[in-house]
Amino acid sequence: MPPAFLRSTIVLIAAGGIGLLSAPAGAFDQERECSVPESFYAYEPPLTKTAKALAGGRQVVIAALGGASTLGLAAGGAGLAWPARLASALAGRFSSARVKVVNLAEARQTAKRAADRLDRDVLPLKPTLVIWETGTMEAVRGIDVGEFRETLQAGIDKLRAAGDEVVLMNMQFSHETDAMIHFQPYLIAMRELADANDVPVFRRHGIMRHWAESGLLDLRVRDDEKRRQLAGKLYDCIGHAMADFVTRGLPAAKPAASPESGR
Amino acid sequence: MVIRRNKPALVAVDRSDSEEIMTIATSPSATERDLRLDFFRGLALFCMFIDHMPNNILADFTLQSMMFSDAAEVFILISGYTAGMVYGRAMERQGFLVAGVRVYHRVWQLYVAHVFLFMMFMATVAYTVGALNNSIYAEEFGAANFLNEPGLAVVKALTLQFQPAFMDILPLYIVLLALLPFVLAGFRSWPGVVIFVSFALWLAVQFDKRIALPAYPGPDRVWFFNPFAWQALFLLGAWLGWRGTSGGVSWLSRRWLFWLAAGLSLAGFLIRFNWTLHGFYDPLPVAVSDKPLWPFLSKGDLGLLRFANVLALALLVARLIHPQARFLASQAARPFVICGRNSLHIFCLGILLSVLGQLVLNEFFGGIPMQFAVSAAGVAIMIGVAALMEWFAAAQGASGGRALEAPTAGRGARGCPLPSYAPRSS
Repeated sequence: MPPAFLRSTIVLIAAGGIGLLSAPAGAFDQERECSVPESFYAYEPPLTKTAKALAGGRQVVIAALGGASTLGLAAGGAGLAWPARLASALAGRFSSARVKVVNLAEARQTAKRAADRLDRDVLPLKPTLVIWETGTMEAVRGIDVGEFRETLQAGIDKLRAAGDEVVLMNMQFSHETDAMIHFQPYLIAMRELADANDVPVFRRHGIMRHWAESGLLDLRVRDDEKRRQLAGKLYDCIGHAMADFVTRGLPAAKPAASPESGR
Repeated sequence: MVIRRNKPALVAVDRSDSEEIMTIATSPSATERDLRLDFFRGLALFCMFIDHMPNNILADFTLQSMMFSDAAEVFILISGYTAGMVYGRAMERQGFLVAGVRVYHRVWQLYVAHVFLFMMFMATVAYTVGALNNSIYAEEFGAANFLNEPGLAVVKALTLQFQPAFMDILPLYIVLLALLPFVLAGFRSWPGVVIFVSFALWLAVQFDKRIALPAYPGPDRVWFFNPFAWQALFLLGAWLGWRGTSGGVSWLSRRWLFWLAAGLSLAGFLIRFNWTLHGFYDPLPVAVSDKPLWPFLSKGDLGLLRFANVLALALLVARLIHPQARFLASQAARPFVICGRNSLHIFCLGILLSVLGQLVLNEFFGGIPMQFAVSAAGVAIMIGVAALMEWFAAAQGASGGRALEAPTAGRGARGCPLPSYAPRSS
């Protein structure tokens, strides 16, 4: 629904919320405004092995599985995608470690397709950490939740058997899609699956919603050029937040709120 | 599910499953309604409205967060019960053909409601799609195929195969109700066989996930609510409703069954609510891990725990609450009762309101106060519309043309686009 229509309808019901609409578009002129409240990470199990390897200055290979939003399509390419931003954030913080982030995303990649690629494309990399962005295609296509869960479970089992640490990353937040696509069952399934396996979830949906709510990111831009800028900004924020997330528990990497070594 | 031990008289004034059937009375005492059906269906409708707005803290305090089963099971069970009671009685009196036509008239109303909801959905998509295709979600959203082949989508919606968000329960209800005349005919001759086959089919679905109805867009998509599984709940409800017309089912009043139901419900509550609380506060330990229970919690396939939990709850309610309990007739319960009585309209309204409410919450945020405000506003609108419908029905009744007892069959059309027969009594 276009904002004009939506607003005119809604203002009648909720006049009080209007102040939130005027999210300052210029908020991004300041670098790295998009911090993430501690509560999004607090109870997620830590990634001990990866954090230690980073701190110990060893080689760290991170594999990223996912769809269009991991591939960075909206920003214009993989160089601006969050895995690339994660790599540079980690490289900035752990100059002694050799960090390599391999982006294995494909547009419209389902969990099943990603799981099928584990043997061929992921395990040979001997990754320390696999970040699996998933759930979007399943919700969009209405794939059975039980099947989705089984696919992810099998994938997690396989990765862990190979000694890799795993992070699940859930869907993006948008103002409008919820009315058309039923994300909730898939968000819940990922949460439950992560808890049952003691695997952390990077709650992208909640984090993006928080950014939108606090006015840090205006997700509504329509203009082509602005949209590319927004995507670049968003992926940069996600990449840095993921760097904070991965290195939780390391004394040196604690200042999550205002990391100075952005780019 | 209702067990009526010392109340042979039967009542059904259910406007929702039988807008046409205002009274089916066998004796003067039969004008007493079973208010529990209205009340709990109304409660289920409120729960559905709130559950469909996931960014809403209240959704953590509806049935879905306290029991393995949720409002969908309650809705289908009560609908089955009411349909079995009303149309079962109609079949006794008017025969298979007339009762069957009445059922199909109701199916038609549900179908029209489904098409109406689909129009609303398409309007939402049409308004949004341009914006989304020009947003950072374009690639992912493009896979949804909503407007890529609009002609096909419309046709598939008409054949009930296209079931976008929240448009999945009416198709289920339509299919189940369409089966009802044959099921009722079966109940007359071989009730045991019908129930056995129904249960066996449910069991088969539990073991073989391929038993499903294909949906659009394919190839992997199936009906969210698997009718081959959910028919078991609906038919069990229908059987109980049908048996209720002839004095109920005696073994349901056994003491051990009551305690079994109480035990199951309590266990369901403790386990499920523990998960909910754990979601709020992670350090709180989980008493029973959910992972081994997943295979029994499938919503689409009506997993064992969901099935058992809703039956246990229904038995408890049937045993503990009298059909005309004072509370159910009180002013406090009236909002629930009138919504439950007009359930089709209020259900459709609830779907629309939850989509709007979700958009409000995602547009303006506003935290918990806003979530309360949106939920309260939606519930108030639902109650308001139900009250209006009650008032309108009463006004029409008072004007003489549609008096409850007046045999003015075949006339009148209350509530376009869902026309109804005039009430009749036999």
